[in-house]
Amino acid sequence: MIDVALVVNGAERSVSVASETTLLELLRDHLQLTGAKRGCDAGDCGACTVLVDGKPVNACLMLAVQARGRSVVSVEGLATQTALHPLQQAFHERGALQCGFCGPGMILSAKALLDENPQPSTAEIREALAGHLCRCTGYAKMIEAVRHAAEASKP
Amino acid sequence: MKRRGRGIACMWYPIGFTVAANASAATVKVNEDGTATVLTGTVETGQGALTVLGQIAAEELGIATDDVHIVSGDTDATPMDTGAIASRTTYVTGNAVRLAAANAKAVLFEVAGKKLGVSPTELEARDRKIQVKGYPQRSVAIGEVAYEAQVVAGRPAIGSASWNPPTVPLDPETSQGKPFSTYVYATQIAEVDVDDETGEVEVLRVIAAHDCGTPVNPMLVEGQVEGGIAMGVGFALQEEIVFDGAGRQLNASLTNYIVPTSLDMPDIEVDIVESYDPTGPFGAKGVGEPTSVPTAAAILNAIYDAVGVRLTTLPATAERVLMAIKQNGSRIASGTSVL
Amino acid sequence: MNTRERHGASVFGNVLEADADMRLPALVPPPAFPIETLVPDVLKQTPAVGQRVPRSDTRLHALGQTRYIEDLTFPHMLHARIKRAGIAAARIKRIDTREAERMPGVVAVLTGGEIPVNSFGPSLQDQPVLAHERVFHRGDGVAAVAAISEQIAADALKRIQVEYEPLPAVFDPLDALAPDAPLVHPPHGNVYASRTLRKGDVERGFAAAYRIFEARYRTQMVEHVSIEPHAAIAEWDANGRLTIWSTLGRITLGRADLSRTLNLPLNRIRVIGSVVGGNFGGKNEITQEPVLALLSKKTGRPVKGVFTRTEEFTATTVRHPFIMDYKTGVSREGRILAREVRLTLDGGAYCSWTETTLGKACILSAGPYKIDNVHVEARAVYTNKTVSGAMRGFGAPQVCFAYESQMDDMARALRMDPLEIRLLNAFDEGSASPTGQVLQSVVVKETLRAAAERFGWNERST
Repeated sequence: MIDVALVVNGAERSVSVASETTLLELLRDHLQLTGAKRGCDAGDCGACTVLVDGKPVNACLMLAVQARGRSVVSVEGLATQTALHPLQQAFHERGALQCGFCGPGMILSAKALLDENPQPSTAEIREALAGHLCRCTGYAKMIEAVRHAAEASKP
Repeated sequence: MKRRGRGIACMWYPIGFTVAANASAATVKVNEDGTATVLTGTVETGQGALTVLGQIAAEELGIATDDVHIVSGDTDATPMDTGAIASRTTYVTGNAVRLAAANAKAVLFEVAGKKLGVSPTELEARDRKIQVKGYPQRSVAIGEVAYEAQVVAGRPAIGSASWNPPTVPLDPETSQGKPFSTYVYATQIAEVDVDDETGEVEVLRVIAAHDCGTPVNPMLVEGQVEGGIAMGVGFALQEEIVFDGAGRQLNASLTNYIVPTSLDMPDIEVDIVESYDPTGPFGAKGVGEPTSVPTAAAILNAIYDAVGVRLTTLPATAERVLMAIKQNGSRIASGTSVL
Repeated sequence: MNTRERHGASVFGNVLEADADMRLPALVPPPAFPIETLVPDVLKQTPAVGQRVPRSDTRLHALGQTRYIEDLTFPHMLHARIKRAGIAAARIKRIDTREAERMPGVVAVLTGGEIPVNSFGPSLQDQPVLAHERVFHRGDGVAAVAAISEQIAADALKRIQVEYEPLPAVFDPLDALAPDAPLVHPPHGNVYASRTLRKGDVERGFAAAYRIFEARYRTQMVEHVSIEPHAAIAEWDANGRLTIWSTLGRITLGRADLSRTLNLPLNRIRVIGSVVGGNFGGKNEITQEPVLALLSKKTGRPVKGVFTRTEEFTATTVRHPFIMDYKTGVSREGRILAREVRLTLDGGAYCSWTETTLGKACILSAGPYKIDNVHVEARAVYTNKTVSGAMRGFGAPQVCFAYESQMDDMARALRMDPLEIRLLNAFDEGSASPTGQVLQSVVVKETLRAAAERFGWNERST
């Protein structure tokens, strides 16, 4: 067992895990943050995506120890007590989520894009979401939702 | 060099099971403040069925979608349902929900009739009120009626119903009969670019004109069309489970089984064609499966238009398209002139 | 006099320093989310039908709060995994689970012989819950393990020894039709379902035709690829009442299947259909539910099973590959006079939803067209491959690919616009379908015209 101390959604957390534990297992099983999903356990589907130091990462491919001292943001860290994150609001209102299973990962990748590139083109949005498989929506309303969230946060 | 082509495909698709009974049952309870709860045995699989059923119940009761809560998917607590299959939920479960809501409403109308001094047959429910047809000024808030019914008169407004599509069994030798109560229709047109040096097909645009009867929730209909087209693109160009000589799947992973990503998707325009089916709830039919039916045909017809090759085997991978181009096989089906 | 003054500031100073050294973990704030729902106007409107209403469940999806099956945990819960055959056709001579049972962390093992009624299926009950004496495709389950962790369960599968006697297998549906083909489910022949549709007289129609077109079309095996894998949890109470949480899209049927396979009355079974992460037809029959139920009964603990992505491909249903032969006769003006179709469905190892697929495909195969003379012969064939079952469209995408491809070929040969040949032949309100049904609320021509107009189809001459 090894100790892993990291920041999750702004709070310092410390967990004791077996060495082969993935970041996904740490979040889901040890911290009860079940928003990140296990769709394939092989880094192909993107449903396990979380942000590590601001960058989207397949949590199923990262060992928990590799996240030591890093800052992780999961979908549970996006909303505040008074409002959804603009991306969450846009995805919800514009019908961009159907079964919702790929949603958390998708929204986090979109957030990483907007944090870096606040007014992305449609092609850039497609590119940012390309690591995520969605079988329900055809991605169309997701791209609209990201565009809408970007518009809404124009200064 | 990229060559552009366009292809059209239309289709028809039935709602419900082939002849066999596929009933749905539902219960609607109007709470004593005029909001409502619907019990349905269906399961939400991501398509938005529960919201659609809520809209149907709300419409029948004359209240708002937000006033309705749906309880689903528990064999202990909800009535039977044949399931989220065969695009049947809006049509079959929707009819059951509407009839159950109408039964609950009948209790309210009896109570409201007494309050308003008219026969229950003279009443209608809308805008959270129960009012006299043709003279809406005479009305009472639905919450008031619901309270009076349940708490004062001791008659809670609860209704249950089931519905099964009417069919006629098929003749065993000829399949003549009425296998389904209703069908939906659609056309999709695809525009593609085919690279005649690599065989790669890029689907640029798909125009989809779909019939679903009355669209209960147009945003969800669009979602089904867009998702269906994505599956259609995969079916046409990318997806295939490949076996070796011992029956082992060679690509049983998402690395090697290629499913469309956001980069593979065309621009999609959805047109919901107007239609009304009197046998469906408020004229609605269904849309879940039809959306992926014509896409591959439209794309393959577009490939033909672009480079003059007719592929008769799916998927039309780049290798296959290129091979067909090289063979210059525009393998049109053989035609024999009779005259 | 307060304590600070009595003991001197330096003492408190020491205590404070010690606190810093102890590095107490920060109090963890729970994840935050807004509880007041700002209800969009559209949700408050009447009338409700026709509104673009956002779904209240997608708000929970966006927050990551939706509890799918794999997000649920119960006290003392165990994890189950199923061992897959890995051989396409074989007799099971011997299964030895003793080594697996002895592994630390393994709580129970299950084999096919322990299933009270080891068969299920929506029409033919030809599929076992766990293979008992024979294996029919590589994805067949042959044994199951419940352990304190998924990893231990997976490791235990490797310690289960199975001795097989390989049997001849057949993989191509056309091979399976050959008279000397190995029988997949002896003594039954390999054709396990068939249907004929006959309307009018196709020979007369062909005789009157200006041109006849013939082609063979083939479609491939594809999988649903729901992003959420199949998952279920089984639990019993002390009164012998079973509760199953499952990704099943059909809980009434699922309860009936559990009643049958476990030999339990219906009122002792509760099936809870959670929010499902995609179905598309792939979660429409039981898979592991009876296995989990029996493991739970053996162990007295809740048992959860989640399929791996590999199992999603190999051990759940797929779309039927189709081989379609179309022969169509048209008049000089492009009117379809006769259509003859032969469909061969690759039915995989078990029947599953094949009869429904066969029926629909047969009825739809002539296309949405007014044709007086139609003859369709459709059959489904067993092969020792992944089970073909229900998938979005039930045969419709396959036949549409065929009939719409041929439509364009005919248009080109007759020098007609592909749109025009369809408008010429398509159903009208009141047309008779291939089964003789009078169709109502028919709008196929409206969809053709609407799509063509939006596309700008007539802005380019052919």
